[in-house]
Amino acid sequence: MDLEFLKTAITRRRFLQASAAAGAAGAAGVGFNGLGLRTLSEAQASAAPSGGQTVITKSFCHQCPARCGIDVYTTDGRVHAVFGTLDNPLSMGKLCPKGHYGQYFLYNADRFKGPMKRTNPKKGRTEDPKFVPISWDEALDTVAKRMNDLRAKNESHRFGLIYGRGWGATDVGVLQTLSKLYGSPNIGLGHSSMCSDGSEETKKILDGNHGYNAYDYANTNYMLVFGAGFLESFRPFNGNMQAWGVMRTKPAKTKVTFVDVHLNTSAASSDRAVLIKPGTDGAMALAIAHVLLTEGMWDRDFVGDFVPVTQPADPDAPRLPSYKFETGKTIDPATFNQKWVLGLPEWWNAVLKDCTPEWAEKITTVPAKIIHDVAREFGTTRPAIAIFERGAHAHTNGTYGAMAIHSLNALAGSMFAQGGMAYQLKSPAGKWPVNLDDFMDDYAKSPERKKPRIDMKGTDKWPMVSNMLQEVAKNHNAGAPYKLDSCMFYMTGPIFSGPDCTAWEKMLGEIFVINTSPFPDETSVFSDLILPDHTYLERLQVADTYPFQGYPISMIRTPAVKPIYDTRVFGDMLIDLGKRIKGSTGEYYKQLGNTENIIKGIASIFAEKPGDNGVNSYESWKEKGVWYQKPYLYRQIRGEFFEWDKLTQSYSKPMKPEEVKEKLLKTPSGKFEFKSGYLEEEHHVHYLMEKFGLPAEMIAFPQYLPANHAGGGDLHFVSPKLAMQAEGRSGNLPHVTASIQPSQGGKKTVYLEIHPETAAKRGIKDGDRVRIKSTVGSIEVYARLYGGIRPDTVALPMIHGHWGMGRWTKNSGVSGSTNEVTPNVSDAISGQCCYHSAKVFVEKV
Amino acid sequence: MAKWGMVIDLEKCVGCQACTIACGMENNRLPGENWQDVIFFTEGTYPSAQLKWFPRPCQHCENPSCMAVCPTGATYKTEDGVVLVDWNKCIGCKYCMVACPYGVRFYTDEKPLIAPDMRKVYPSKDDHSWNPPWKMPDAREDWKHGVGIQPHDVVSKCTFCYHRVSKAPPGTPDLDPQDPKLREFTPACVVTCAPGARFFGDLSNPESNVSRMIGDKRGVRLLDQLGNKPQVYYLTGVGGAVPSNRAIHKKS
Repeated sequence: MDLEFLKTAITRRRFLQASAAAGAAGAAGVGFNGLGLRTLSEAQASAAPSGGQTVITKSFCHQCPARCGIDVYTTDGRVHAVFGTLDNPLSMGKLCPKGHYGQYFLYNADRFKGPMKRTNPKKGRTEDPKFVPISWDEALDTVAKRMNDLRAKNESHRFGLIYGRGWGATDVGVLQTLSKLYGSPNIGLGHSSMCSDGSEETKKILDGNHGYNAYDYANTNYMLVFGAGFLESFRPFNGNMQAWGVMRTKPAKTKVTFVDVHLNTSAASSDRAVLIKPGTDGAMALAIAHVLLTEGMWDRDFVGDFVPVTQPADPDAPRLPSYKFETGKTIDPATFNQKWVLGLPEWWNAVLKDCTPEWAEKITTVPAKIIHDVAREFGTTRPAIAIFERGAHAHTNGTYGAMAIHSLNALAGSMFAQGGMAYQLKSPAGKWPVNLDDFMDDYAKSPERKKPRIDMKGTDKWPMVSNMLQEVAKNHNAGAPYKLDSCMFYMTGPIFSGPDCTAWEKMLGEIFVINTSPFPDETSVFSDLILPDHTYLERLQVADTYPFQGYPISMIRTPAVKPIYDTRVFGDMLIDLGKRIKGSTGEYYKQLGNTENIIKGIASIFAEKPGDNGVNSYESWKEKGVWYQKPYLYRQIRGEFFEWDKLTQSYSKPMKPEEVKEKLLKTPSGKFEFKSGYLEEEHHVHYLMEKFGLPAEMIAFPQYLPANHAGGGDLHFVSPKLAMQAEGRSGNLPHVTASIQPSQGGKKTVYLEIHPETAAKRGIKDGDRVRIKSTVGSIEVYARLYGGIRPDTVALPMIHGHWGMGRWTKNSGVSGSTNEVTPNVSDAISGQCCYHSAKVFVEKV
Repeated sequence: MAKWGMVIDLEKCVGCQACTIACGMENNRLPGENWQDVIFFTEGTYPSAQLKWFPRPCQHCENPSCMAVCPTGATYKTEDGVVLVDWNKCIGCKYCMVACPYGVRFYTDEKPLIAPDMRKVYPSKDDHSWNPPWKMPDAREDWKHGVGIQPHDVVSKCTFCYHRVSKAPPGTPDLDPQDPKLREFTPACVVTCAPGARFFGDLSNPESNVSRMIGDKRGVRLLDQLGNKPQVYYLTGVGGAVPSNRAIHKKS
């Protein structure tokens, strides 16, 4: 389409209303010349050379969830630079490439300039929405009327709000209040199943912590990585790179083995790159565990050991050998004393005893010798950690395979150890200024509000998941459990990024769509209302840290400039919407006022819990950009757990087993469970037996099950994220497209990596136009012949193929989203969308 | 007077290109006009496949070929060892681009890499070649030293962030971005480099960290046989590689 609606949006000039409701004022923006009161072009035209003072505002980055603290440089009314904040514990003055995109987003020529409504009732990819500008009052009144009408009909559950990258209290926190007060389980449908839920779920199953790990990289000596783009996309990328610089040049250099399906920069930077058959990582991990046990390389302090053999009383009788793990032979569980683990003998007997490297070679195609070598290195180098993310677990067998990988961390004794891994501690937060419970009316409290979510999370269909966003369009289109009436989108675009994404075009064609993106995107093409958010350099917003080194960190964004256009920060937008809901809901939001009041409430606790950097108030928080308290509070040392002692500045307060269970190993047994009590819960057993065809006695163990590869093709298809990709937002940044590398980038486009032999068989030459086809769709791209990818696999980064995003995405050379050929298949346990499990055909166009 | 130089530790470089993007931001470069580029090479087939990369700023040679061929004296070497282009004198003849063995010079009026042309989206009303809304502070622009948004028809290049470096306190041996007092004088690529692969300092000061590293870690220079004597040194360590000089035959 020709994106006609963009022209309307761009040429329209609008003076900002100087109302307080238009967003928070540039609190720290002293010394700039009032840019916010004019349109951008007017401001530029009159910007006299002032030799102006440069103002640095504190904020945090928006390009991934890591939340690096940033210094935003503003001079002469222009934001011209973004650097890492030197005294921020996460960024330490550094940034990844994405961190330097802020100014390009802020001033992007395609930004929405203010609220708009659709005037063309027909919807479709090629239909111009014919947006016309409206006021914020009209926009919010329109949404509120729909919400009030639904509530009057007892149908509030048909109002949905789907969100992607949430930051914390001032956006996700606010939408959660709206869900409760208004009464819709579908306000706040999260995206985590399309992110990396498989990782969090695996950890919950084994060690009871539903979360990502905090890693002590600087002190680790061996790193075994399965399908996590450590130096491209694994978070926090900036922190990972800083750790890499330390790990690779410290006196005892950290050795790294990297397991993936193609040679990327992470694999190429490592000591050993292992290209594994997609969906089989778990088998390799099981074989490593097998070697650790048979060769006696497990950590006895954490895991435990065999009991001594009772020798015959008769001194002349032959001596009995010590107990040990022998390939193919079971052990007597009574002969093994387990310390901080549960179910190791049972796991060995049921699964591991036969999982030799030779067995794994047949499944993974990785030579048994390599698996042996890796196992011996992993088993003899301490501390050692095993990391995995979506490459390993975004498969139908993902959770079981990931359980095998994470089990290596217990066998190596790395849980909560120096150089090992822990979990992120939460930051303290002061109370919100208004108490929500006082405003719940009878409608909100009614048992009728207990309807299933449209994604069927927590129902018999998906009993164990956190979210199931990829099911929403499917369920809506089928009318089961019901159809949505209206849906708001915040920071996500499943119509492009969801598996089998075209299903969303049907859904969005039927319902009232409200998009809050500051930029045009595919959702906008189907939107009825555009309520544009600020870009992040204009926002006042707070967040807790993404898991980093475990100690609590709280971040704050302060606006570097006043909003350039007539936009409104999402949280305030919701509050202003809530004020228009009839009854006590409206009263709640009137009293709440705006997001700044929430932030002030949260910050109030810093008075009694000052940060290490002296932050003790809202004002000092804005000045520093971050509150944190070091160190992480717990550590396992040679099989004993200790809490940090402030007096001695050491991990020296012994912890009782019940404290370990409450705070660290939060499983039913308080141990690391190789035989998972969570999976054995009665309501899970039957579900797992049915889904995986397993006997009841097998469901609790890490194990290898063949993945189900949908799509009908003959080549595995993966859609990785490269170092320069800012999630879904960088497709329209020519500075990004022009510089994207390494093997898949191409100045104007991105290429499909294909092995030379695979290409030759299909008559494909380097640079040829090719079609990728599966049972759900097809797209066209250019091919790049690359000997660094497996012959049975092709890879295409998921950055281009946009059809509604803006002027610089029109000639990207990729005809559609990678998700137009990715079938909608999920892991039955975690609900993880199996982005890397498809099989496709590739043919020359 | 300092003789500024850079040391890049290839063992630490992970090919993230933050240097490229930070430079583009700091110096207002067009998409793809990467003064500080990272060049990627692939070779062979797994298990012996290689993926390598090489970060390449201007080498700020002691004997710069570009300067030797410049007919107007626009390209010059500063007293503190930096090779710059004076945009007031440059006539855009591109001799320097031909003469430079490192391919680190850029002509302003090339065809845009990605359409629509950013120079047309953000047009300038005066002598500048374009007018991005994120451009550097007005007071920083300095055409004599090749800093700022350049006019049409000139050649541009990495300045070692001369607007920062030239303000460093005299006698500073190393510009360490982790030192708050020196951070603002350090080139943008060095400031942001997350694995800490980049170092900047005074090569004429034997006590500087960069001088010691070149000695201790056997720093090498790119295409050293040409005699340009770059002031950018590479440490290859384990795993880092300087591109070999063999001929590459490409099938047409």
